Amino acid sequence: MKNGALLIPVCLGWLAIFWLLPRAKPRSRILGAIIGLAALLALQATFLPPVGNIVRDGMFYLFSGSAILAATLMITDRNPVYAALWFALTTLSVCGLFLLNSAPFLSAATIIVYAGAIVVTFLFVIMLAQQTANANYDHRAVQPVLASVMSFVMLGALLFALQEWGGIDGKADDAAREGQFVAVDASSKANQFSQPPSSNKTEIGSMRVLGRSLFSDYLYVVELAGTVLLIATIGAIAIAPRRSQGTL
Amino acid sequence: MLDKLINLFPEPARPYVAPILAIVIVLNVNLGVCSYLILLERKLSAWMQDRHGPNRVGPWGLLQPLADMGKLLLKEDVIPGHVNKVLFVLAPGISVFTTFLAFAVVPFGPVPSNLTPGDGQFPFIIAPGVDLGIVFIFAIGSLAVYGIILGGWASNNKYSALGCLRASAQVVSYEIPLGMSVVGLAMLNSSMSIEKIMTNQVDQGFIGWNIWYQPLACVIFFIAAMAEAQRLPFDLAECEQELIGGWHTEYSAMKWGLFFLAEYTHVITISFLTSILFFGGWHFPFIAEATSNYTGATAVKVAVLLSKVFAVIIVIQMLRWTIPRFRFDQLMGLAWKGLIPLATVNVLLVMIVKQFDLHTLWLFPLSIAAFVAAGLMATQSSRPFAIKAKLPVEGHGHGHHVHAH
Repeated sequence: MKNGALLIPVCLGWLAIFWLLPRAKPRSRILGAIIGLAALLALQATFLPPVGNIVRDGMFYLFSGSAILAATLMITDRNPVYAALWFALTTLSVCGLFLLNSAPFLSAATIIVYAGAIVVTFLFVIMLAQQTANANYDHRAVQPVLASVMSFVMLGALLFALQEWGGIDGKADDAAREGQFVAVDASSKANQFSQPPSSNKTEIGSMRVLGRSLFSDYLYVVELAGTVLLIATIGAIAIAPRRSQGTL
Repeated sequence: MLDKLINLFPEPARPYVAPILAIVIVLNVNLGVCSYLILLERKLSAWMQDRHGPNRVGPWGLLQPLADMGKLLLKEDVIPGHVNKVLFVLAPGISVFTTFLAFAVVPFGPVPSNLTPGDGQFPFIIAPGVDLGIVFIFAIGSLAVYGIILGGWASNNKYSALGCLRASAQVVSYEIPLGMSVVGLAMLNSSMSIEKIMTNQVDQGFIGWNIWYQPLACVIFFIAAMAEAQRLPFDLAECEQELIGGWHTEYSAMKWGLFFLAEYTHVITISFLTSILFFGGWHFPFIAEATSNYTGATAVKVAVLLSKVFAVIIVIQMLRWTIPRFRFDQLMGLAWKGLIPLATVNVLLVMIVKQFDLHTLWLFPLSIAAFVAAGLMATQSSRPFAIKAKLPVEGHGHGHHVHAH
């Protein structure tokens, strides 16, 4: 059972999160932190990134560490405003990871959309909705067991898939080759738009190459997403009250 | 000259000398310029309102910024008892950090085209070769709103909370026209990099300035950037008559000063961006051309760019006493019903010109036509698509008098 080792970090992580979720009676945060750290260390055995440039590795551990820490604090903090801020920090850390993996546009777009707009809207709503006198049930998780088990089953499935797939470094047969965004089936003639410009292979991740890939490899998906957004916009306008109904 | 300085350092440190020098220069010049911009603004306000303005400290009040700085540093820094201390202290820091960070990709002179680390050329930009350019500035700028939101919320004060709610709605809305206005520019130059857009204009000479191709985008960009910086026609988040001081009501001493340092840095950044993106950067006919190679040409180029920036800053400061503050619904209407559709039309025009291989100068009349058409649509009483307000009209003799609700 070669994937059995994955069970240890997943179970430990579940235990840590379950312990840290907000309860009526506060629990020791240090114990949860130690269990969580143990889970991360156990995970290192299987998913250690390749060691190379010391600056790059340092940045990787900085960003990934702060992403995990901020995400944990986001779901375990009692104050919804702090939770939203931790979410913003999680997004920023993940954007740092994108940047490290030469995806600067993805990183900037994520910052604009998530940290700059969505979390701001969350904060907006929370600040308007939050009352000064919070009831007891506002301070504890509603379904701690179900929520944490479900999320860690999903995380386990994700890790399992990653381990089976073998990564982008060419270990797997269906992985994208160097200089490609998506894997191209060997039998079919390659879509010329999904290839980077032959002059400069390091340009992968630049906006030019990203745009070509988006509007060739993923054309239908992009159009579909655009249509869904358009429908959502029309729906929002339809739901919004009319001038004649007394508002606006 | 820079080579000698670089050679003083040990080998591994050499690539970092020029960038660190650029950072030090930018930060310090920025701090000094900000305080004198405040003096300039006060003098300009006084001139426009037929007053004298500050004239007690030093000749013509020239030492006023130093006195202000001393006052801000030495004043008691009050943290009220009812605030959320961590966020209250964090907020001004976020404001300053994000506005300074945005300056990293803004060139402040003729950026050498063949720049490699440690080759002895002064880069004239803190982070050269950033492919993202404008997108990076927008990303960082979208984080600047956290300073305002956190400051307003942590103050635990109704006026601050109202100010921060207004600010967040405003900044999130105006980010869209700001981003859309440069899409046309990016399509014309096939790049988002600020250096590349500047170089493209310089290479084509006076006719290459983007203002000839994107006048509408320039207006939209300038308005949206003013709104992002919360300058006066758009400063509803801190309007004194309604909200005391808005989100910075509870702030005092240097924390208050940091918010204003951030605001002025933001003004400088948008002035740089406007002059670089639309007015040719350091190019000026005959004086600073791409081919001009005389002694001191670099200094002249920097001076040309800085003069353009200064002119834009003067325009921003004059606008302060020219246009009265918007009402909040007007502000939102301007962004969503005016600027965003116009920016979309602008992008569409660029697409049409590119698709049908028309001469790019066609964009000038087309943009003007779009602007005039939008103006006519907005001001004509019998405009198409107008929503006829169903107001109850007393004594209107057509059978449907009063629709009581």
